[in-house]
Amino acid sequence: MNSSSPADADGTSAPPLVAPASVGVSATGICKEFGDHAALTDVTLDVDVGEVVSVIGPSGAGKTTLLRCINMLEIPTSGRVTVGDVVLEAVDGQLQQPRSVLAALRRSAGMVFQSFNLFPHLTVLRNVAMPQERVLGRSREEAEASSLALLERVGLREKAHAYPERCSGGQQQRVAIARALALKPAVMLFDEPTSALDPEVGAEILAIMRELAADGMTMIVATHEMSFAKEASDRIVVMVDGRIIEAGAPAEVIHNPSHERTRRFLRAVLNR
Amino acid sequence: MIAALAVVAPPDVGSFGYIAGQLLDGLVTALKLTGATLLIALPLALLLAILSDSRLAVARWPALVVVELGRGLPLLILLYLMYQGLPQLAVTLSSFTTALIAFSWATAAYATEIVRGSLGAIPRGQFEAARAVGLSSGDVYRFAILPQAGRVALPPLLNLAIQIFQLTSITFVIGLPEIMQHAYLGTTVNFLYMKTFLMAGALYAAIALPGSALVGILDKRLSRHVQTV
Amino acid sequence: MGDELSHILPGLRDTAIITCGAYLIGAVLGAFVAAARRVRRRPVRLLAWSLVELVRAVPVLVWLFLVFYGLPQYGISFSPVVAATLTLGVIASSYLSEIYRGGLAAIGRGQWDASAALGLSRRDTALRVIVPQTLRVSGPAMAGYGIWLLKDSALASTIGVVELTYRASAEAQSTGKGMTVFAIVGVIYLLLGLPLALASRSVDRRMRSRWSMS
Repeated sequence: MNSSSPADADGTSAPPLVAPASVGVSATGICKEFGDHAALTDVTLDVDVGEVVSVIGPSGAGKTTLLRCINMLEIPTSGRVTVGDVVLEAVDGQLQQPRSVLAALRRSAGMVFQSFNLFPHLTVLRNVAMPQERVLGRSREEAEASSLALLERVGLREKAHAYPERCSGGQQQRVAIARALALKPAVMLFDEPTSALDPEVGAEILAIMRELAADGMTMIVATHEMSFAKEASDRIVVMVDGRIIEAGAPAEVIHNPSHERTRRFLRAVLNR
Repeated sequence: MIAALAVVAPPDVGSFGYIAGQLLDGLVTALKLTGATLLIALPLALLLAILSDSRLAVARWPALVVVELGRGLPLLILLYLMYQGLPQLAVTLSSFTTALIAFSWATAAYATEIVRGSLGAIPRGQFEAARAVGLSSGDVYRFAILPQAGRVALPPLLNLAIQIFQLTSITFVIGLPEIMQHAYLGTTVNFLYMKTFLMAGALYAAIALPGSALVGILDKRLSRHVQTV
Repeated sequence: MGDELSHILPGLRDTAIITCGAYLIGAVLGAFVAAARRVRRRPVRLLAWSLVELVRAVPVLVWLFLVFYGLPQYGISFSPVVAATLTLGVIASSYLSEIYRGGLAAIGRGQWDASAALGLSRRDTALRVIVPQTLRVSGPAMAGYGIWLLKDSALASTIGVVELTYRASAEAQSTGKGMTVFAIVGVIYLLLGLPLALASRSVDRRMRSRWSMS
């Protein structure tokens, strides 16, 4: 697998993984309730263009819920999400904007899931190409050409005609990343992308993510991988029990946490 | 004098009461047929299940043929086969007995598949653990396997029983005095097709709906402690 | 045997019409019913559920009689073949909707998540992601139900459709050779169901988790 640097064998630069126009993301006052349980309470997060934010915290803290509220896979009970110029607001669990605005938001935000979620009935190539055809309106030739280039970029060109079940977990996740990137999103959301993978395999995924970050993609990453959080992010946000309790530069948060709860979490996570 | 009047005054063949009375008579017959069928078919199914997994081809093939025919042929064909076929072999039986044979065959065939499925659902480890603890072959089945298989097989078998009860409706073609027969004969007199058949349908539903609901509850309770490997 | 065969075989036409017609109706209608049971609005879900339960609680024969003998009282009459096809079609839709629901349940939520996150329209998600996977999972059960429907088509003989069973019974009555005749027609039914049975069993072996009648 070539997690190579942008310059390849013949001296020319490989195209960046990212479309040049990434945007900032703002989540303001997000509250999400499931029945009696408050999964998120008044969460506000602003991410600048090209910034990489890692969201860490214990299981059940609301990291996944927050990401799902940002691309509106869950409609928040209340709150506002802004991706670039697209603004979506929720009141009483109802979206205030029409579906077309929701569609625009979904087009700008790409998501990579913990369980990959590839379409099992389509080949790897079709997994990456089909959404381009249906969402971007590209022709089959265009979509497949672009897909092959992306698959090349994540090192899976030879698996193009294989079905997901014949691919390892790490390979499936790489396809999933290619599939999300194929739609030229302005923002990428990663929901614990390496939690279902062996550490070695996970490292390859993290390497791709670092390249993406270096290319200037705005990224929000929910993760347990402290190395990525520390070394590849611009900012770390700590979530516990549905709230953000701490945020700051990685070095600060990890070595000098101000909140007791953060200290406890880091102790448990870093001293394994 | 009053008795004479009662004889002379005809029953109101269009009234709910009268029709219901007729149909209820049929219900008893239907239930009898269902019960008798189950009594014969279930032990038969156990036997067929064992035979069809036997290593002896002589035991296995006939069992498989019996099961495949019982499951593969329309029940109506099996019924006619007995009713119009046995006389060709100079055997004449009552319509109830004829129906009983056909229904037992079909029910045993379906039940065999359910039993085989339930035995197959027991993880291999159970057999091995029971042997390892020192139980004899017979005891392995009696105390370890059959209780578990029984739990798995019970809901589908009960559902099968409900389906058999509903299928007794087809015995109307051989003149068995069950619900549909009474209903059909009734309509030749009162011409109230919709009303009569609706009542017949309601009678079947009155047993089938609560029956299925109860089986559903039973199923949930039985699978409370099941571990999926 | 050739005589009996030539008297019975013409019944194949109506058996085929009823079985295939009812299956098509059931396959399409069943999809709508399955969808209706997953809708957000409770009244719609309950209505669909109760229709399915009602259809399955009443025997097929009763439904056939209600449609063929009962409806004409209200001015709606069908020929026997049409009545049988429509009735069995509605019944098939109930059973097939349950089969579809089983298939849908086997599809992980992640598939909907990924489709939504990618921005696929609801129509594209349904047609290009969900339906293909549902058909794959439900395939064996759908083939199994095809055989069931073939067997139920025999009941159409009771409302006068001149299909295989009707012809066999008539033949048996006229020749008195019931055993022979029904053995023949039995073989015909088995042969008709063979392709479906083979398809269903081979995939069924791979997915050994359901224990049911078909």
